[in-house]
Amino acid sequence: MSNITLVLESVGRGESKATEELFPLVYEELRRMAAVRMAGESAGHTLQPTALVHEAWLQLVGDGEQTWKSQGHFFGAAAEAMRRILIINARRKSTLKRGGDQKRIDIGDLEITSATPDEHVLLINEALEWLEKEDPENARIVSLKFFGGLTNEEVAETTGVSLRTVNRQWLYAKIKLFQWIREQNG
Amino acid sequence: MSMESQLEAAVCFVAVNVSDPALRTQFLDEACAGDTRLRAAVDAMLLAHADAERFFEHGRAAVNAQAAAVIHEAYIDIEEMADEQIGSRVGRYKLLQKIGEGGCGTVYMAEQEEPVRRQVALKVIKLGMDTKSVIARFEAERQALAMMDHPNIARVLDAGATETGRPFFVMELVRGTRITKYCDENNLDNTQRLELFIQICRAIQHAHQKGVIHRDIKPSNILVTLHDGLPVPKVIDFGIAKATEGRLTDNTMFTAVEQFVGTPAYMSPEQAEITGLDVDTRSDIYSLGVLLYELLTGRTPFDSKTLTHSGLDEMRRTLREDEPQLPSTMITLLRRTELMLTASQRHAEPPKLISELKGDLDWIVMKALEKDRNRRYETANGLAMDIQRYLESEPVMARPPSRVYRLQKLVRRNKMVFVAAGAVALALMIGLGTSTWLFIRERATSQREMLLRAQAEDRAKITQALMFVSQDKYDDADAVLDKVRSFPNNPTLDGAAVLRSVGEWMGVHARWPQAVERFSTLIKIDTLDNAYVVTSDYQACGAVLAEAASPEQYEQFCRTAVGNFSAAPRTGILTTCLQFPLKKIQIEALKPMEANLESQYYTSGSTNRITQWNLMPFGLWQYRCGDFAASADWCRQGLAQKYKYPACVATLHVILAMACYQSGQTSEACSELELGRQLIEARFQNGLIHGSAGAGYWYDWIFARHLLREATALIDCNSAQSGIKG
Repeated sequence: MSNITLVLESVGRGESKATEELFPLVYEELRRMAAVRMAGESAGHTLQPTALVHEAWLQLVGDGEQTWKSQGHFFGAAAEAMRRILIINARRKSTLKRGGDQKRIDIGDLEITSATPDEHVLLINEALEWLEKEDPENARIVSLKFFGGLTNEEVAETTGVSLRTVNRQWLYAKIKLFQWIREQNG
Repeated sequence: MSMESQLEAAVCFVAVNVSDPALRTQFLDEACAGDTRLRAAVDAMLLAHADAERFFEHGRAAVNAQAAAVIHEAYIDIEEMADEQIGSRVGRYKLLQKIGEGGCGTVYMAEQEEPVRRQVALKVIKLGMDTKSVIARFEAERQALAMMDHPNIARVLDAGATETGRPFFVMELVRGTRITKYCDENNLDNTQRLELFIQICRAIQHAHQKGVIHRDIKPSNILVTLHDGLPVPKVIDFGIAKATEGRLTDNTMFTAVEQFVGTPAYMSPEQAEITGLDVDTRSDIYSLGVLLYELLTGRTPFDSKTLTHSGLDEMRRTLREDEPQLPSTMITLLRRTELMLTASQRHAEPPKLISELKGDLDWIVMKALEKDRNRRYETANGLAMDIQRYLESEPVMARPPSRVYRLQKLVRRNKMVFVAAGAVALALMIGLGTSTWLFIRERATSQREMLLRAQAEDRAKITQALMFVSQDKYDDADAVLDKVRSFPNNPTLDGAAVLRSVGEWMGVHARWPQAVERFSTLIKIDTLDNAYVVTSDYQACGAVLAEAASPEQYEQFCRTAVGNFSAAPRTGILTTCLQFPLKKIQIEALKPMEANLESQYYTSGSTNRITQWNLMPFGLWQYRCGDFAASADWCRQGLAQKYKYPACVATLHVILAMACYQSGQTSEACSELELGRQLIEARFQNGLIHGSAGAGYWYDWIFARHLLREATALIDCNSAQSGIKG
């Protein structure tokens, strides 16, 4: 049995430490797969994170073996891994552009909708950090949707919430996050 | 989520989906019902909604762009790490030095310490492959690889993954020069080159018998080492092409082709066509053909660069449709300086080189390079033996293409249109479910291996039988054929040829059961593979069936024959179905074919395309139907033809004799019978020979004799003549 299967089983039994162990595994797999995929893609080709997350799932656990419950944990971990990969990268690039200035990015003078991709992702991430404190459940849906690239249906299946609720929560989160960002930078 | 937020979310969600402004206001008024805080919050949210949606749409694009950038960097990172450091360890191997870099990986000399200390070659495959499946595929074939034990094959010892997740393979270390380079540098003449090549064929044959296909035979995979001063070729990389084959079925198929298939020049058409899905040992025969071509001419049949740069579709089309130049022609097309160099590297003057290639060597190479694998040599040994025969100045089995053959090629090209369409559908299917497909494949590997092994054995037997036939050892050939298991499902040209030869020999020597056996199988093959159908196979089969006296089998045969030719009636088919008196139902079955042929006769008039052979079956048909006057008419018309074919003349006399007798013209019947009998007996007196179109083939005479027996039993000339006297 693979390492990941053991970890997922522990997650399924509710051992919270296991979720932490899951993360680095998924993270590594995502990175490795990203590299493998990249070797075949032409440079600059847009690559959907969704595809990567789903492939990572198939790759690590194969299909049909795991319950939806552990799959939920997996997607959660994968989305978070994806988020961390993207944020680390965006931070590094923004820092580079700003001549090594380690200060928090000044977003006061940014026209929100014309932000660069890096800045855009960082803004959403910051807002999401705020939402995690306010409303962790809703933040989880955003993470799955935005960084995990899951569809509303998949989020519903993964989290065990009804599709209608997911639709409602996602709309609400988008508006709230946007309002918060505008407030912070207005 | 607080109650407040839940309420906000719920009201906002409904309001967003109400597009009519008046209705929306009405809904908000009712839903908020004087709760001004709620109303203000929802109004603000609705105001921000459009911007928020746009913001997240940009956000999604940003995330995708980010992902692409990250992935790109991750790739560069790993690629930088990927060059393993000399002195570092990969698994239990210590890297000693880099010894080569190829299209799909880097090769190191490495040291293994346990269980034995030895030096090995370690090949690290470049990124872009799914390490897990590569290793899984390798494991699936490991047993088969382990069974290979041949002095001309470098053993594959191990496989695994490096720390950076790249697959690697460990092989017996071969310190050698690639075969083409070795031959050119040492100015080996054609004979020496062919002798080396024969050794390679034997090695490949050994692998095929163990169920292993190489799939990537090319000069860089065949190294020549010196053993006591003698060159010994070694085939390396067995099993690796198979383990890494998944690359072509990846989503990244197109770039992958340029990236990995560095040498499409050596790919068989079927390998290029369906991404290696349905490849058998004969694909290796093709690649051997390319190698032989290059050893002899210094060029590959299709230019490697042109193939690679022409794009996937064009590459496939070329491999599938374009006929390569004959090796001897290829040489003459070279520029003068190239020609001089090529010749001197082969220790020959240009004219001598060209004349050496012309003829046998041309045809041997072209037979290995056939587009249709059924027309290639059945086995690597078959190819080796043909070259051996060439070297010993014996006649070779490869033959220049005949006119019929070229015509068949034209038909085949059109068939390929369908094959190509099928490949597209297949590629789509693969795109949808690569992982599922891989899983099924891996599980099927062991079964497939057994099947491949069985097929390889069968092919070896057919080649052996072909050898016996060429040495006139028909009994030996027959014995070998008995052991071939997959005949009807596996129609091949060599297979059909050997069945035909053995069947004929049995027929000529009156060994009916054996002849029936061989021809029945042959007919099955003909039925399966319309491309090679020959009417004469049916006539031969019909003749031996009649002799073997198995009426049921004969009737069954006639039904098959009529069925197979219902769309394209042939006189030969009608003839062979008329050997026995017909039941009513049989007459009905044959009627359409006879009517069709007769109308063809009337429309073509009495042009010179009409021969005795066209008329004779009409005479026999009327006789079988009981119209004896009409029968006699046809026979007389046949006998009056200007060009006379002895076998047909004899047959016509016999039919006419029976028709006359049935009409009461006994004396004419007896004289006709006598004419027929003399011709037929003379023919059989000195032993039957294969015959020819003019004099009649062996089965034409057997057919004639068969009717003669019927006539002899029918006509009582002694009493008839005594009756006249009396």
